[in-house]
Amino acid sequence: MRTEKSPVIRYVALRAVPFIQLYALYVLGHGEDGPGGGFQGGVIFASSFVLMALVYGYGTGRKGAPEKITDILAPAGCVLYAGIGLICLLMGGAFLEYGRLAGEGASEAAKHSAHHFGLIGIEAGVMITVTASMITLFFEMARDAHVDHGQDDDDGEDDDA
Amino acid sequence: MHDVHLLALIAVLIGVLVVLPRAIRGPTLLDRILAVNVIGTKTIVLLALIGFLRVEHTIAEGAAADDYSRAGFFLDIALAYALINFIATIAVLRYIEIRAGRAKAREGGGA
Repeated sequence: MRTEKSPVIRYVALRAVPFIQLYALYVLGHGEDGPGGGFQGGVIFASSFVLMALVYGYGTGRKGAPEKITDILAPAGCVLYAGIGLICLLMGGAFLEYGRLAGEGASEAAKHSAHHFGLIGIEAGVMITVTASMITLFFEMARDAHVDHGQDDDDGEDDDA
Repeated sequence: MHDVHLLALIAVLIGVLVVLPRAIRGPTLLDRILAVNVIGTKTIVLLALIGFLRVEHTIAEGAAADDYSRAGFFLDIALAYALINFIATIAVLRYIEIRAGRAKAREGGGA
């Protein structure tokens, strides 16, 4: 994958990436009362890396999300999800019964807020797994094209548009 | 305000109809991409207008407000749509660019 030469696209893409990631976190946080949740947030988050790889080349995109880190994050999200469920079990509730996180004999309000925190927690787990998986999928598919044609990533001007 | 939003909605839909032949007939690939991009941009406006109409409908009917009757609900979708539209257009254009480069390299002595 060659780098994009158009300065307009280079400039816009670089500046759009943080906003895309912020929006992904917004989608994650509003999964309860709006469109979105863990999966959608994860896909939007991963799309920022896809955009980076499309415009600045395979190597630069992969530098932001190295294989080592995505390989750890994909199962880590699952562990976070299952871990919160198991903590609920240990607190004496059912699997993923978030209200129990507030502790024994907690007030209704405390249970309510514990419910929200538990829900956000498992959604974050889903998001981490989906982000890592989407990034892995994209870069594994892009790698063949990248290797076959031996195209250069960097012409040494990727730091700014 | 209801009528204004409804009129705007119809105007945007007519705008979509105007570019639709360009998307179907081409004649080149770039014409089609441009037309699809225009329709995508109009869809964002369409989604925002549907959100506002929904809010006005809920107020006018006095119906119980739910998540769908928030304008923000549709604006969130519109934002995500704008994002996907932008990235998809860049991705398709990059694909065409690289494919054209390969075809040229093949013609020029199989390099």
